[in-house]
Amino acid sequence: MSFAHESFAHDLRMQSSPLRRKVENVVVDRRRFVTGAGALCFLAALTRRGAVAAQTKAIRFGLTPVFLDNDLKLLEALKSYFETATKRPVQLVQRRTYEEITALLISGQLDAAWICGFPFVANRDQLALVAVPLWRGRPLYQSYLIVAKSRQAQTLDDLRGDIHAFSDPNSNSGYLVTRALLAERGLKPADFFSRTFFTYGHRNVVRAVASGLAESGSVDGYVWEVLAEAEPRLTGATRVLRRSEWLGFPPVATARALAGSANVRRLQQALLNMDKSEAGRKVLALLRLDGFASESPRLFDTIAAKLALVRRLG
Amino acid sequence: MKRRSREMKNFALRPSLWPITIKAPAVVALLMIAVSVVVSYLVLARLAETQERHLSAISDAFLDGLSSSIIPHVLREDVWEVFDALDRARHLYDGVDARETVVANAQGLVLAASNPVAFPTSSPLPKSLTARFAKGVNIVTDEVGRRAHVMRRLIYQGREIGSIYAELDISKLLEERRAVLHTLIVSNALLTLFLAAIGYVAMRRIVRPVHTLDRYLGRSLVGPVAPIPEEELGPEHSEFGRLFRRYNAMVEAVNEREALASVLAEEEKMASLGRLAAGMAHEINNPLGGMFNALDTLERHGEQRIVRERSASLIKRGLRDIRDVVRAALVNYRGNGATRRLDRSHLEDLKLLIRPELRRKSLSLEWTNELNAKADIESGPVRQAMLNLLLNACAAAPRGSTLSVRIKTAGGKLELSIGDEGPGLDDAHRDFLENGGTADGPMRDGAGLGLWMVRRLADEAGGQIAVRDNAGRGTRIEVSIPLGTEKSEGSAHDVA
Repeated sequence: MSFAHESFAHDLRMQSSPLRRKVENVVVDRRRFVTGAGALCFLAALTRRGAVAAQTKAIRFGLTPVFLDNDLKLLEALKSYFETATKRPVQLVQRRTYEEITALLISGQLDAAWICGFPFVANRDQLALVAVPLWRGRPLYQSYLIVAKSRQAQTLDDLRGDIHAFSDPNSNSGYLVTRALLAERGLKPADFFSRTFFTYGHRNVVRAVASGLAESGSVDGYVWEVLAEAEPRLTGATRVLRRSEWLGFPPVATARALAGSANVRRLQQALLNMDKSEAGRKVLALLRLDGFASESPRLFDTIAAKLALVRRLG
Repeated sequence: MKRRSREMKNFALRPSLWPITIKAPAVVALLMIAVSVVVSYLVLARLAETQERHLSAISDAFLDGLSSSIIPHVLREDVWEVFDALDRARHLYDGVDARETVVANAQGLVLAASNPVAFPTSSPLPKSLTARFAKGVNIVTDEVGRRAHVMRRLIYQGREIGSIYAELDISKLLEERRAVLHTLIVSNALLTLFLAAIGYVAMRRIVRPVHTLDRYLGRSLVGPVAPIPEEELGPEHSEFGRLFRRYNAMVEAVNEREALASVLAEEEKMASLGRLAAGMAHEINNPLGGMFNALDTLERHGEQRIVRERSASLIKRGLRDIRDVVRAALVNYRGNGATRRLDRSHLEDLKLLIRPELRRKSLSLEWTNELNAKADIESGPVRQAMLNLLLNACAAAPRGSTLSVRIKTAGGKLELSIGDEGPGLDDAHRDFLENGGTADGPMRDGAGLGLWMVRRLADEAGGQIAVRDNAGRGTRIEVSIPLGTEKSEGSAHDVA
């Protein structure tokens, strides 16, 4: 995670809202303790807090802007399905950034969360997989580099000097993939692009590029494809310049300490069986997904490799 | 046809010639138009002012809302959040149609714009945008472009951290104003037309009596003056009711006067006849005395040849004189018979007819008659007029003075000129004689009646009369009558 603090995003975050600062403090505190001498004590405390969370009957499920979290109809259907399938009240927790959700997840304040492959590999030692979505039959997706439809650019090199829109500093497809692509050439985004900014949502990246606010953007390929069906006018103003290799689809993860808890097990079953019930298929249809599967964490090794590459560059 | 259209044009160009039934409603309509123009102007000015305030208020609300939501993002130079706020604000404020919104940072570089293609992030604000607000103005309306440009500085903790520039679409406001203008024009036009029509109808009713009066007065020019009949008089106490009754009273007076005048004329005719008869009797009496003397002489000394011859010659001369007088009288008072062309002798005869008068007042006569051939004019009225003028001159001339008479034809006209050394005509008589009309001056006294008859005779013969100074001694009356104008027999004999 250290790279994130050195990134441009860090500068932005230093001036962010009190809430975000608070969450950040949690993250920073956590790291200090994990890496320090009092790590064990802290873990114990976390576990206890997690246990307390688990004992409350409600299941807290975190959502990130990884998918279309602004679709109220989808949220309603998802909540309804979860509640039916787990026979527990379900609270869907949304935050603006991946980081907030990740922090809540790691700290045990959420039973599970749909996060991105990047925070998952970055916090692999503290997180466990619950399920991985299947899109077009596979637990894989791509990251897209998009430009305005009318633009002539053909390769990444044509994007030099652009104003570039990222999704989130903790997004794989909306940040890490492009960051790693530049790192392969020994560059950082600030060197290559004239200006970058985060929109904290893949849909917003598409909006930024479509409107001309950004000249190019890094976006989740799955989100772009779904948008192409749902809002063809929005994606129609953009064009995919480059597709990355296939990478592990953003997974549903839980804190390692809560991995065996009843809530997490119920949630896991609900996810894995989603395609087997009418209500579940309705949710999947809204998400344009085929189902959820149990996958090995090794699915995310390619993302881990990108993280390592970026970290090496410093 | 051409002349008629020119007359119509003259008529249209000269409002003073228009009938009052057109003029009065036209004035009403003009006043209505003036009032509606003023009212429309006031309403529109007020509307514009209200709209200006409204625009200022809504743009303030828009900018207030926008700046409070974007100030934190501007502080962090968060391009996306500023853009997102602008994008949302576009449809957030009812009544504000923000076409373009640009947010710049303190350095004047674009942070984000609602249309990033036109105003790319990090580019400097275009001069065209900032120049509008050079003099501390925050709102500039462009009615032609149907836009209002507003500007707001973003102040945070007393420091300027950026600015918002927005272009608002004010088509709706302008459309509203246009609609009001349209409604005003249409309703005012209809109202004006309506009121003008009412004014027209009302004025027609009001001035209808003027038409009636005009009709009857016009009729009096070509025929006898007729009173307005009872059924057209209207109520007695109305203005026109009184006017009509006065008119009728006047018509009655005029008719009475006409009747009186004809009676007087008849009397005058009789009087002059009497005078003439007396003169003729005198003329006849004079030779008669001589003739009786001659007869006596013949009786006594008839046997003497010389006496007989002288007496016969005397009687012959006396009889010739009597014949001449009788002939002159016959010519003058021939009565209803064939019209005769005027010739020299007809006017020469007049000398005989006035001779008694001349002798009575010991007047001498300068007589120049240049009329040689027959003139193409009826002799009766000319002789009658001439005789009247001569008798008048005799009456006016002081004892022992000279009358001068000249008769000639010139320029297709017969010109008669009679001068005397009398005290002259007063203005009323002179005016009547020269201009005619119904002035009653000459009818007041009997002496003027001769002039009245002359005037009527001249009118009938189409002649003109001028009264001039007679070389410093008295008055000269000049009558000029066009030759070759056939007057109706009736009117000529009417006065003869």
